[in-house]
This record gives sequence, C-alpha cells and structure tokens, in this order.
Amino acid sequence: MSVTANSIKLIAGNSHPELALKISERLRIPLTKITASQNTNKESFVTVGESIRDEDVYIIQTGCGETSVNDFLMELLLLINACKSASARRITAVIPNFPYARQDKKDKSRAPITAKLIANLIQTAGCNHVITMDLHASQIQGFFTIPVDNLYAEPSVFQYLKQNIDLQNSILVSPDAGGAKRVASQADKLDLNFALIHKERQKANEVSRMVLVGDVTDKVCILIDDIADTCGTLAKAADTLLSNGAKEVISVVTHGVFSGAAQEKLNNSKLTKLICTNTLPVSIDYPKLDQIDISPTLAEAIRRLHNGESISYLFTHVF
Amino acid sequence: MVQDIVVFSGSSHPKLSEKIVQNLSLDLGKVKLGKFSNGETSISIGESVREKDVYVIQSGCGNVNDNFIELLIMLSACKTASAKKVTAVIPLFPYSRQPDLPYSKKGSPQSLSNDQSNNYLNNDSNSNNFFSGYKNWIAQSGTLIAELLTKSGADHIITMDLHDSQFQGFFNISVDNLYSKPILQHYIKTKIPNYENGIIVSPDAGGAKRATAIADNLQLPFALIHKERRTHNPKQVSNSTLDLTSTNSNKSFATTMLVGDVEGKDCIIVDDLLDTSSTIIKAAKLLKNQNCGKIYVLITHAIFSGNAIELIKDSHIDKIIVTNSVPQDDHVKQLGDKIEVLDVSKLFGEAIRRIHNGESVSILFDHGYE
Repeated sequence: MSVTANSIKLIAGNSHPELALKISERLRIPLTKITASQNTNKESFVTVGESIRDEDVYIIQTGCGETSVNDFLMELLLLINACKSASARRITAVIPNFPYARQDKKDKSRAPITAKLIANLIQTAGCNHVITMDLHASQIQGFFTIPVDNLYAEPSVFQYLKQNIDLQNSILVSPDAGGAKRVASQADKLDLNFALIHKERQKANEVSRMVLVGDVTDKVCILIDDIADTCGTLAKAADTLLSNGAKEVISVVTHGVFSGAAQEKLNNSKLTKLICTNTLPVSIDYPKLDQIDISPTLAEAIRRLHNGESISYLFTHVF
Repeated sequence: MVQDIVVFSGSSHPKLSEKIVQNLSLDLGKVKLGKFSNGETSISIGESVREKDVYVIQSGCGNVNDNFIELLIMLSACKTASAKKVTAVIPLFPYSRQPDLPYSKKGSPQSLSNDQSNNYLNNDSNSNNFFSGYKNWIAQSGTLIAELLTKSGADHIITMDLHDSQFQGFFNISVDNLYSKPILQHYIKTKIPNYENGIIVSPDAGGAKRATAIADNLQLPFALIHKERRTHNPKQVSNSTLDLTSTNSNKSFATTMLVGDVEGKDCIIVDDLLDTSSTIIKAAKLLKNQNCGKIYVLITHAIFSGNAIELIKDSHIDKIIVTNSVPQDDHVKQLGDKIEVLDVSKLFGEAIRRIHNGESVSILFDHGYE
C-alpha cells in the first residue's frame, strides 16, 4: 500500500467541551492537545500541541453563546486554518448546531444570506468535510462545495419517545408550516396522527396569531421543532393546543438555544415536558427539561467517515 | 458630491465614520446593526447599493471577532445586493500581528491568565507538558483573514500602518496601506517644544524602519531598543546589559539594551501598535535610567488592552499621542492631560475620495492631508 495509515485526531473548541469529551470517550480517542483562547486585545489565538501531519482531523465546535457566537466561529476558522497549515490530511468540521442557519435566504431587499457566507468562510479556511445535525434548511448543504453530512436526531428522539412516553394516545404537532413536511413524515414512521399550527409572524422572534389545523381533543400533543430559541413559539403553541382540548403538551426540539427571555417564557408556559438534545450546552435551569445525548451518533459518524463506511445507516438507526 | 458612492459604518467606531463622511460632505448609508437574541449578528441595509461604489468602515477593535464577522456580513450583503465595487476601510487591521513564538515568554501578545479562561479546555497545555520533541504549532492567521475578507466580497482594502507590510502580499486584491507618518511628523514639529533637541526612539527592532524614516525627515538623531533572548549566561554576552529578566526556568534570558545616546535629550518613542503597553513601559524605564529628558510616545493604533491604562499612568511617560483609528474617548477620560488624540478621518476621507475618483493615493503617503 502506498498510502500510509492515518488516525483520527479529535480537536475540541471552547463552545461545548462536554460534548467533545463524550465523543472522545465513546471513540476511546483522547482529545488532541490544543490551546484556544483570547489575547487581551480580544483577538482569538490557537496553537496545536501535537503533530497532526497527515492525520484525519475532526474539529468539534458548535454554534452557541449569546455573547460569543462570533468568537467561537472565528476560533473554528482559526483552528481549521491551523490544521491546514500543519499539513493535516483531511479536516472535518463537526458543527452540531450550524450558526446563522436561519439567515439562509434573501427574504428582504439587501438582506445578507449569512448562512452562505459562513459556508464560504469555513471552506476558505481550508475545511474538507462538514458534519452537522438537523440543519434548519437542508438546502444549506448546497451552499457548500465540499461534502456535508447532515445527521438527524430523529432516531435518538424516537427511541426516547418510545421508552418514555405512552404513544398510544399521542399526536405529533408541527408548530409552524416550515416544519410540516418533516413532522408529517415522522408521524408516518411512528404511525401517529399529525396536526399543524399555522402562525402569522410579524417580526423575527415574535409570534402573533396561531391557528390549529387538526383535532387534538384529549390527546397528548408532541410538539416537534428543530430549534427552540426564545421559546415564544413553543409557549404560544402549547396554549393554543390546550385551549383546543389537548390533554397535555410535550415538546421535542433538536437545538435548545434558549436565548433572551426563554427561561421566563418556559417557566410561565403550560408545557408538561421539554426535551432537547445536547448539540448545544444548556444555558437555562428548567426542571421539566430532559436531554437526549446525541454524542453516540456524532461519534459513529466520525468513525464511519474515517473508515469510509456509509453514513446513511445513521439516518434511521440509533447507537 | 457624486451620487454613486455609499459609505456604511460598522458598529466598532461610528464616531470616526461620522467624521470621515463629514469630510466627504456625505451622509452615512442607512444600515441597521444589531444582534438576534441568540447572539448572531443581524444586519439590514436600508438603502439601495445597486451599481454603487460602496465603502464599509470597520476598525479591528473592541470585540474584535464580533466586529470582524459584522464586517464580513456587511461586505457580503452589499455584494449580493449588486454593488459595483465593495471596499473595506479598516483603520486598525485585526489579527495583523503574526505570532511566531509560543507565548510562554513575557511580552505581548499575552493570553488571558488561566483563571480568566476557566471555560477553556486543556488549560494545562499552556505549560510545557506537550510530549517532547514537538514544538507548538501556532496558527498564522494573516492569510486566513485576508482570504476571508476577499471571499466575503471585498474588492479593495484601505487600512493604515499595517504592522507587517508583508501583510499586503496576503491579499489577491488591491490594498492601500495609508501612513500616519505625516500626521505624527506634523505633531512633532508643531507641538513638541524644542523638538530639534529631541531624539527618535524605536522600542523594538521591528519598528526601526518606521522610526528612522521619521528621524530622517525631521533630521533628528535616532536610538533603538534591542531585545534579545539568549539561552546561555547573559553576562558573557555583552556588558551593555541594562535590564536583566529571567523569563523562564530553562535558562533563557531576555536582555534589553539601548543603542544610541539619549542623555539629557527629550525622547520621542514611535511605534505602530500599543496593546498591553508592556513594551513601551519597559522602554520608558530604560530611557529614564539613561537620564533622558521628557518622554513622548507616539502610537498609531492604541488599543490599551488589559491594565494598560494603569501602567501608563504610573509610568515615566510624560505624554502619549495616539490617533483615533480606534475609539479613544474612554482612554482620554482616564488619562486626561497625559494623552492627546490626532485625527485621521481627513486622511481616510481623502483616500476614499481619491480612490473613488481614480486619483493617485501615494501623495498622501508623504504629505498627509491636514
């Protein structure tokens, strides 16, 4: 063989060390020694403390932090670039929650398509491959000219629901029309009914009026969404469902961003339970919150990618 | 003035942008800058830029990363909104210092101490526990920053006093690097009493060229502070050793020495960047030990990070003269009479005007624009 064997190198940014450690434990590969911090003048700087020449490098950095989203993004770019200049064979960015994913279209005149910009920046820095999870719009994959593996939290979520919730009397609900397609297909897979809430939005992060399509009387409603940010949508959707005769409302989201007044809105909401995955560190203290660990999925994706095995098996199976 | 030019201001230094457009007799372009509640930067450009010549002013100060990403988003928004040409005006270029040594040694740039960065992984790796034989790989951010700007849609860059002039070579687009030299020279000539008897001092070898240029133009003598790190006993190296500091345990010594005679003369220290101020403070101490007269410090980009303000207050420096390439209002409040701020908005305004009209910019390099 002319190609020498190379090994996986895991590099963790500062955004979500717990997740990185879990992935590292799962793969039984220690995290590569790096430093990533800020100078006193607030410029980020990174150093790599081990040789990564000709290795298969995975950089784990999620998009999070109300004050540090951009810091983590710059850190990711610097890490990618450092690995590239240190002659890594392949650099894969593992970005469980893709930052700026919601700014994915020119919805107003001169609005920036920031998701496309971020895709460009990541590629410019020297990234060869991207692993992410539940992209807000799967079209974002098309913003890249490098391969993007968009994983799904769905198998892990289904497993959780089957183990923890009596699905007999349940109905899946999509809190907006954008998620209708996804939730409808999930309802099919679980053999459940499906309802939809139509919302009329006037401003970003503000929800005005909600209309329910479907019958939820005496049912356990499972609200499914990809991102819970200020949680205004979730709280209002729960109210709408309960006022339409629902028995209780449980919510499942992939990315729990919980920014702004999320804590307060959740405390005042009528949700029985809120379930999110650990693609982001949880920033709120909410007793009804349950977390699903998706690090096994990410770890398995890394393992399969390294060994050149198929990833699509992960779209339907849990690890 | 002409109608097909739009100047936008980022959120880093609105006051400078305001002054620049005043010099151009324009109004700032309408743009709404802010953040979504999840911390992501939000931008909405409020006026048409179609087929216009667009300038975006953003300095690399404050929350550097926030401001830099904001700049990238603005550039790309203008580009996708069909601007004819997009120019980034970056008075202080972020990430312009190329780190080349592990920062275990003293001197800037300094990393945060461990207690401030407790959320960071691998804190212990700051020390020398890396497995033996491998030297730290340090990210050289220069090319990356240049490529990010280009990729975002910048067609042209205007900046001032780049730390490394090689930085221009990292770009594949045109870069106009303006000089604050004429403005600094003008200050020395008009505001420093008896400047003819002064001496220009460069606080390190890297800035020697910049300082000698000013010394030549003003026909003043020149002195240089040289810092060297040796691993063997410094006593054998030279007897001009003035300041001896042991920097770490493996017997590496940093020695600073002064090349030139400053006794009884007013010293004018010239440098491009002041960050933690440790270099300047050390230089001032060294000069004072040599019985110099007053100490003036002229800095293009004064960031004053960390506890720089306190250090300057307690130092031997009589006056520090900076430009408004980064916001200085807070610093002026804290340093009072000790600081003086020179305005570079006219320089940038004139550069924008000349670039827009296709006139030569190089005249600004020598004569400035007062």
